[in-house]
Amino acid sequence: MKFTRSTHLNQGQAIKGAGKSIASRLWMALLVGLVLAAAACAPRAGDDATEPATTAATAAPGQAATGQASTPAAATAAPAPAGGGESRSGYERGTLRRLYSDPPTLDPHLATDATSSAIIVEVFGGLVTIDLDLKVAPDVARDWLVSDDGLVYTFYLREDAVFHDGKPITAHDFKWSLERATDVVTEALGVEQYLGDIVGVDAKVSGEAREVSGVRAVDDHTLEITIDEPKSYFLSKLTYPIAFVLDRENVESGNRWVRTPNGSGPFKLEEYVPGERITLARNPNYHLGPPHLERVRLILSGGTSMLMYENDEIDVTGIGLADLDRILDPNHSLNSELMTSAPSFSTTYIGMNTTMPPFDDVKVRQALNYAINREEIASLVLADLVEPAKGILPPGFPGYNPDLPGYEYNPEKAQQLLAESKYAGNIDDYPIVLTVAGGLGASVDLDLESITRSWSEILGVDVQFQQTEWATYLQDLYKNRFDMFQVGWVADYPDPQNFLDILFHSESSNNHTQYSNPEVDRLLEQARTERDQATRFRLYQEAEAIIVDEAPWASLWHSGERYTLVKPWINDYYQLQLIIPKLRFVRLTE
Amino acid sequence: MGAYVLRRLAWTPVLLMVVAFITFLLGVYGPGDPVEVLQGQYNNPEVVERIRERRGLNRNVFVQYAVYVKNIFQGDLGESFKYRGRTVSELIWKRMWVSAQLGMAASIISVALGIPLGVYAAMKQGTWADVTTVSATLLFMSLPVFITAPVLLLTLGLWLGILPISGWGGFFDPRIVMPALALGVPGIAVITRLTRASTLEVLSQDYVRTARAKGLSEFVVRRRHILRNSLIPVFTVVGLSLATLVEGAFITEGYFGIPGIGSLAIESFFSRDYPVITALALVIAAAFVAANLIVDIGYRFLDPRIRY
Repeated sequence: MKFTRSTHLNQGQAIKGAGKSIASRLWMALLVGLVLAAAACAPRAGDDATEPATTAATAAPGQAATGQASTPAAATAAPAPAGGGESRSGYERGTLRRLYSDPPTLDPHLATDATSSAIIVEVFGGLVTIDLDLKVAPDVARDWLVSDDGLVYTFYLREDAVFHDGKPITAHDFKWSLERATDVVTEALGVEQYLGDIVGVDAKVSGEAREVSGVRAVDDHTLEITIDEPKSYFLSKLTYPIAFVLDRENVESGNRWVRTPNGSGPFKLEEYVPGERITLARNPNYHLGPPHLERVRLILSGGTSMLMYENDEIDVTGIGLADLDRILDPNHSLNSELMTSAPSFSTTYIGMNTTMPPFDDVKVRQALNYAINREEIASLVLADLVEPAKGILPPGFPGYNPDLPGYEYNPEKAQQLLAESKYAGNIDDYPIVLTVAGGLGASVDLDLESITRSWSEILGVDVQFQQTEWATYLQDLYKNRFDMFQVGWVADYPDPQNFLDILFHSESSNNHTQYSNPEVDRLLEQARTERDQATRFRLYQEAEAIIVDEAPWASLWHSGERYTLVKPWINDYYQLQLIIPKLRFVRLTE
Repeated sequence: MGAYVLRRLAWTPVLLMVVAFITFLLGVYGPGDPVEVLQGQYNNPEVVERIRERRGLNRNVFVQYAVYVKNIFQGDLGESFKYRGRTVSELIWKRMWVSAQLGMAASIISVALGIPLGVYAAMKQGTWADVTTVSATLLFMSLPVFITAPVLLLTLGLWLGILPISGWGGFFDPRIVMPALALGVPGIAVITRLTRASTLEVLSQDYVRTARAKGLSEFVVRRRHILRNSLIPVFTVVGLSLATLVEGAFITEGYFGIPGIGSLAIESFFSRDYPVITALALVIAAAFVAANLIVDIGYRFLDPRIRY
């Protein structure tokens, strides 16, 4: 029975001289360790300890709260059984190794989280994808035409595109896949959000129709999709996994088909042991050019990412706040392996319910905005891991307006605005509660403490914190029960509609500040169907300017995994603001 | 004895059904909703309603419970909300087995060191050896795992390089050593103190004096008369603690990259994954029932005077 439970991955791992010698060495080492712990080393060990612990504590809230941004957090917390035995021997030939979290699902139609999606986009594909410039680009569809009225999209499929088993991908496969995704039995969550624009999806999802009338396979390599209104952001929604193509035979082979998926992406799923590891293998027939890597190994069983990275067990890691200082030091040995990336397409904000006093007065909301020193907090409290937010859309996002002034730190103006508001003098009569997701006994984030402190000092506005655990938080948020709350929004697809229309249209179910302005509604509705991209973005920018001025939000930061450590033998590893297939570009120097 | 065991076993299903029902009520009437959590940042009430309807969450709680119980009797623990398309059985059994093995290794460390140390301390009662033993074990118990784990990782893993940093290979794989130490060493103190206290009590008993008086060798006195009697309370504590093995150890498992049940349990609570939560409650309750029973039966062998 000895060692039989170790898998082939771990075989190199049996340490030299198992048996007694290990035991004795072990005890010596343990004693040494404890002495050290009791002495000088204690604080240092404590520091390291906080990293996984904090990650663990915030994993659940962080994941949902910031959507995509959670992948880094989750991945940072993950570990590696593989290659452990090859300690310090460096890389594994042709393989990229990293720590990851067990994905809730690998079914593209069911995935709603970043952890799952990041694997799914490497294994599956759809009509269109997003390229490294974050623009919509051809995938299985080599080209497409949009009718003059903007309603009918005709996709011309590549004839050389095949599933992993070599079967050609046809328009019929897409039609079947879209109907499977929208079938009520599938229980997909994203149907309305991503596919609801397609004619006939409503009828299909409610069970009234068996087919989606707006999807037609003209011939084997031509697919026609009709949508209800000329929405130019529709195409970007098709890059989301719910619109990916699946092999019918594979899916109908049984409930466990996702363990052996027949995808169309750059990598095949070679092995998936839940809770332990996922191995992806190169798809040599990939129609956009096969990956350079032979394999990608994702370790799912947990561990301390930073330690494993330093021990050469993994090739990529995020950096926790606790380790950041030492690595940012140019003299540190790991400093040369540091990669800095742009903040993710997300915005963290404090929302104010515009129907509840005292937030029903725009001047109160503006005053609170002017009384936040975003620049200083970002650099002093958050170690420049975030970028201070001026408006709603994150930098680099389509339609981003670099000229938006936002709110500078201006205590006098803040005081003046509060004095002009109808709550001047009696603001104390309205106790303000700021609800944040989290809890578990952890303290409120320091950035929020700094903000409420300056509100108190500058405006005399005292804010109480309330921490609720994530599921409870969501429930209350959805019911618009909070008068003030902090949360983030992460882009689902690269179009301003995904922020502005969803979060600020008066009739949106995601408008948790209950902000309502007929002019903004009009601009947003007009932008939905405007076909000229420049005009559209102008409409959104107009709407954004009004929203920022009326301040239902105090926008705070654009965050995300800003710093990554990448081993020197890994080339062309991209840390991007959206989840896109990116691992096929990675090359190893051997 | 046989009748006693049967009677106890007969009550077990009733107990488990009560546990399941309470867990069920907490889920239904507590805040939060699994579908909302699954949905994440984008809220579409229609979607939530649609999925809730399909999953039967809108039905009367007694109906839901009845369906659940019926499925359990057919060996079906249901399907996870969070891990879509995966059954609860598929999710929990393997991880629980991993946690149980780790817990077992930790218990072996606690018991194998705790009992001899406790007896030793009792024999040397009041001397410096006694004080040192007791306070040393207490020191280890006071160190939380978020100190011991990184210290172990740094020393054995990074600096000395004699043990791999993380991962899991089973009970006989060297990777079990560090987490088992982190989990087991704090437990030594409990066993040591317990053994010491009960040994001291036994030492003052008349039958020990009698045994010595009738000329038995010191070895036989210690092994047969002292140790065996002093182990009864220790056996109770260790036996009952065996049930907690299946709960997993969230923090330790996280540090050492062990695919145990701890992290799944925490995740399930946060995502309101009711089927997984209820199943865990059931299994843990069943483990306690079993451990209790085993302890009760075990008494008879340790101490023939105990009868049922």
